[in-house]
Amino acid sequence: MRLAYYPGCVAQTSGKELDLATRYVCRTLGIELVEFPTFSCCGSGFVDEANEVLNVAINARNLAIAEKAGLDLLTICSTCQGMLTLANLRLGDPAVRARVDAALKPLGIEYRGSTRVKHLLRVLTEDVGLDAVRAKVRRPLAGLKVGAFYGCHLLRPADEMAWEDGEEPHAFEDLLAAVGASPVYYRGRVLCCGFPIQFVKAGTASRIAGRQIQDAKAHGADAMATPCPLCHISLDAYQNQAEKAVGAALDMPVFHLPQVLGLAFGATPEELGLSRHLVPVGPALAKVGSGTATGPSSAKTA
Amino acid sequence: MSESTVAAAFDVYRYDPAHDAKPRYQRYTLNLSPHTPVLTALLRIRAEVDPSLALRYSCRSAICGSCAMQINSKSRLACETHIGPEMARHGRIVVEPMRNQPVLRDLVVDQAPFWRQYDRIEPHLRLDPAHPMPEGRPTPMTPEEVDRFKETPRCIACAACFSACPAVEADPEFPGPMALAKLYRFVVDPRDRAHQDRLVRIQPNGLWLCLRCHLCTEACPKDVRPSERIRDLKEMAIAVQGATENGSRHAVGFKENISERGVLNEMRLVRQTYGTVGLVGQLGQGLKIVRKKPEVARKPHPIEGVDELEKIYAALDPEPKEGP
Repeated sequence: MRLAYYPGCVAQTSGKELDLATRYVCRTLGIELVEFPTFSCCGSGFVDEANEVLNVAINARNLAIAEKAGLDLLTICSTCQGMLTLANLRLGDPAVRARVDAALKPLGIEYRGSTRVKHLLRVLTEDVGLDAVRAKVRRPLAGLKVGAFYGCHLLRPADEMAWEDGEEPHAFEDLLAAVGASPVYYRGRVLCCGFPIQFVKAGTASRIAGRQIQDAKAHGADAMATPCPLCHISLDAYQNQAEKAVGAALDMPVFHLPQVLGLAFGATPEELGLSRHLVPVGPALAKVGSGTATGPSSAKTA
Repeated sequence: MSESTVAAAFDVYRYDPAHDAKPRYQRYTLNLSPHTPVLTALLRIRAEVDPSLALRYSCRSAICGSCAMQINSKSRLACETHIGPEMARHGRIVVEPMRNQPVLRDLVVDQAPFWRQYDRIEPHLRLDPAHPMPEGRPTPMTPEEVDRFKETPRCIACAACFSACPAVEADPEFPGPMALAKLYRFVVDPRDRAHQDRLVRIQPNGLWLCLRCHLCTEACPKDVRPSERIRDLKEMAIAVQGATENGSRHAVGFKENISERGVLNEMRLVRQTYGTVGLVGQLGQGLKIVRKKPEVARKPHPIEGVDELEKIYAALDPEPKEGP
């Protein structure tokens, strides 16, 4: 399988560990990632707020790059998935289409609308298939209770994302079970991580993140896992702020989706960039006998 | 049990603050057709099993908006949620009152927080004196003008969106999806003279607290799509007032940020949103992150073809005109 790899901004900078883990997992499963240095940011939902048609045009340019290469496009971020999918849909409006075409045509860019946008979670569960994932497991994550945290834009609006139920999805839990982990079901798994308003009203954003982590914890999760690096920022990099906002210690390791698979496929913590997390993942690794290369839990950055 | 019925197990939230120390869940099991609406089942429970169950309803036809509640954690109208799919998915039907509004008894909530936010947006026409309402009949609108409302006039004020909204749950200042969708309806109304004033006044502790999680759009029984109208309001708010709030500064800053290199320059964005002085307040957290993730502090390499982005911006995002 060959896919146009759209890493998004965060996985190239602060979330580099997501990129490392994605490459490990795709290598293991025989997915060839074709890279394009021409891809731009998807606008992250913020450009959409400022100028909807501009946001569609930026993403039409990205989609055209994959179309020209004849490849489906692989995302590893819920927000990238949402923005690129919405661009495809908004181009169905003739008025939007005309304005976007008028901006792209002078650049020699033509987008016919054929690029399919697929998040890694969807590729793994639909195209690769759970049996093929299972076949690569060398270290089943038995005994590890993981709370999947989906990220909004992968799911909703559900009629536009046209995949899972917008409030009761199961693909991520199915995948976790396939690698031997025990999925934890909790209400917060489909709610927001707070990230979109981290820069608007930090206290509210952190309260939202804190509540979802508390919810996962109350349902017995040893760790959480997310298919979205923006959720990861809220849940991991800002977890100390979430603790302050909800007035409770959380100590919740948060994995990127491909890190969970990588562990089950036998990767070392270094190969998955696990030492880059702000909340140590050592306690979760100890549960599955993966060692504690990221140091003891007392080394937590608070 | 005949083939055409299902043994439906209801776990219903029961709470009377005057008598109960805490809420409890009561199990009722009924054999019903899978097409039975949850509301019909609850009314049968009340008529045949337990007359003390309190709930609010009226039309039973998804018109009045009275019977919104949580059904297996989703905020929905009980009159149009059928028991078959719920039983198939969950093996039981957990019925709870709406969220974000205090419980009066059982499934009945005090909707005051919801209506308070509705009042905040002044949900009535503030007429343009140049186009006074003719005596005895409303000002006619063209079909094109009516289309600008999109789906917002369909709203039945059931509060399902308000119940489903995580921003309302975390911050009582957020107006909630319904009030903002209503606001949109007045902002695009050609007869209203207060468009700009409305867009200015809704911004502090309002518009920009929307998480764009789209849970309101999932919950809405009338497909009003509040989250999409809130997006429209944000773009209109920037058009009338520029980037004056954290939220609008972040959106406009992000737009400018990625035009420079094609990818996000994270450190620069923090400065764009908070300003150089405000940046100082972020330093503590920033340093913690940079220690683990040093790339955050570095300028990213520009993408190949960043000049194409510049041209797209020039075509679709012209510089705003100076002055009011």
